[in-house]
Amino acid sequence: MKKLKGKPVSQGIVIGKATILKSHSDIALKENLEKSAVPLELKRFNNALRTTRLQLKKIYKNLQQVMGKDSSLIIESQSMLLNDTRLIDEITDKIRTNRVNSEWAIKEVSKKYLDFFSNIKDLSFREKGNDIADILGRITENLSKSSKSEDQEIENVILVADDLTPSTAASLMSKGKLLGIILNNGGETSHTVILARTLGIPTILETGNATDEITNDDTLIVDGLDGEIIVNPKDQYIAKTRIKIEKYNAHKKRLKKIIKLPDITKDKKEFKLMANIELPFESDLVHSYGASGIGLFRTEFLFMDPEIALFEEEQYLIYKNIAQKIYPENVTIRTFDIGRDKGTKYFKTGNERNPALGTMAVRLFLKEEKIFRTQIKSIIRANENGNIKILFPMITEIEEIHTIKKIMEEITDELRSEKKLPLHRIQTGIMIEIPGTIKLIKHLKDEIDFYSVGSNDLIQYLLAVERDNSSLSYLFNPYQPSVIENLFEIREETEKIGKPVTICGEIAGKPLTALMLLGMGYTNFSMNPLSIAEVKRVFTNVHFSRIRKIVKKLPEFDSKSKSEEFLIESMLRIYPEMFIKQPFF
Amino acid sequence: MEKEKINITNKLGLHARAAAKLSHLANNFNSNIFLLFNGDRVNAKSLLGILTLAASVGNDIIIEAEGEDESEAVSGIKELFEKKFDEES
Repeated sequence: MKKLKGKPVSQGIVIGKATILKSHSDIALKENLEKSAVPLELKRFNNALRTTRLQLKKIYKNLQQVMGKDSSLIIESQSMLLNDTRLIDEITDKIRTNRVNSEWAIKEVSKKYLDFFSNIKDLSFREKGNDIADILGRITENLSKSSKSEDQEIENVILVADDLTPSTAASLMSKGKLLGIILNNGGETSHTVILARTLGIPTILETGNATDEITNDDTLIVDGLDGEIIVNPKDQYIAKTRIKIEKYNAHKKRLKKIIKLPDITKDKKEFKLMANIELPFESDLVHSYGASGIGLFRTEFLFMDPEIALFEEEQYLIYKNIAQKIYPENVTIRTFDIGRDKGTKYFKTGNERNPALGTMAVRLFLKEEKIFRTQIKSIIRANENGNIKILFPMITEIEEIHTIKKIMEEITDELRSEKKLPLHRIQTGIMIEIPGTIKLIKHLKDEIDFYSVGSNDLIQYLLAVERDNSSLSYLFNPYQPSVIENLFEIREETEKIGKPVTICGEIAGKPLTALMLLGMGYTNFSMNPLSIAEVKRVFTNVHFSRIRKIVKKLPEFDSKSKSEEFLIESMLRIYPEMFIKQPFF
Repeated sequence: MEKEKINITNKLGLHARAAAKLSHLANNFNSNIFLLFNGDRVNAKSLLGILTLAASVGNDIIIEAEGEDESEAVSGIKELFEKKFDEES
């Protein structure tokens, strides 16, 4: 029995057998063929090609059903490449003239285009190499699967793989037969994540080496709540997990009832819980999570397909659809928060020594104005029902706001002359993530309509601790005196100028920190939609006035542990029932 | 043989979607159609071929067609470039 850790991205717990998905294209070996064997090899290749075309057609159809038209673009362009005579001729020529096996010919052609496109200066061409490699990889897989089919192999198992390309993820999951998914990596897997969540498949990413640690038919426990994987667990552990699964299911049922309650505390203080989403498709689910609208739509996913990021029409349609789906609730769209770890491959940010303090988000886009303008234009244009707000990340100084507002005015004029300007004025907000920005709030009364606190970054920059550095996680703590004091200050400053503030980030979605924020006076929360029901359960069971009294004492403590202990003890004293009965969060 | 020089005016140049439209259109003609750019000569009926040109806005590109419908082919393709692949309204 051993344990692996990863990043849980789709909740649930499951026990099952492992199946390792190996990518064939990487391990292709060269075989030299007799002249007489060439026609047979060409036939083998053409069969695999035909199978791949059929597969892709099916995937395309499934994907459109599950995710909507916008998200199937990747498959569409792959399927065009698959019908491209030049690409196919190049492979068959290699088989014929070099007398090599199909796998080798594909590998060589694939490598050629990867190299070719990675050397092109123009950003929008870069990704094409990966598209070609992905699609050719599928042909290779089909070459080796003459007898067994994908469907028979992968059914009622936990899938373990290095990474999943969008097309493989879609084809495996749209059949809905997977119990769980474990990946070594998971950088570019937004498609995987959203499909997994929709279908309720527990999924853990970024395990590092799961494919080495797990072998076929190992029994696995995938705990998509804690991000833990147990390989070949002992019997008593399995029994314990079964109980946990039962409890989890009961818990989920209970939460379903809770989301229907009105959003008020016991003493009638109103609050608002909204969803953070990353993919357009998630807007369909917002209601079922019990969210009052979307408090943060992260648009970085658009960079998966640079052609969406670069086109006004595409973006406009995506934003408009979301706004329509959640009307009359609001959606706050945050402009590209790129740089640091996210999506940098489309931009040359230079080799900065410290990307977290470097050219990112608004800083990057004020340099790359073309893309920034396209996005702002699409957002303003999409605000046909007046329920879209626009949010700018990583604001450092007032000059940035002035520049942005000037760009917005120019775009408004542009839209007016194109007769595409909606009647509604769009509300403009900024993120408070950089501690220094808090001091700007009092000067922004006439500039900014609303504020949004990105707590993860705020903590990172306040404490000079990288948020994902696990050896420093003891420092990265919301109960640090400085964090508490700054959160109080943000609330007070925004209240003074009479502007609303929303808190988004992990602390909004965890019951204890959410209660702390409520006590500070925050009433707008935006969080991972899966956390909404739990926060709502806690909020509807407390009295705002009592929480406020407790939280007001927090600035007296000089350490994170004293604050946290005091908070927990006080809560347990007045609401003993609330925390004890909940084993899951 | 029909030949014509065209300037690329759409913002994104011959990226995937524009390239796809171009190859679709080229496939409607019986003539052999080639694009010449930067010393390369590619078949206009191949999406991949067009992509490998990586031609951007501002670049000049030559269309060359040979066959029964060569003049229709060239003028049809020229029109597509001129209306910026319907990308910008």
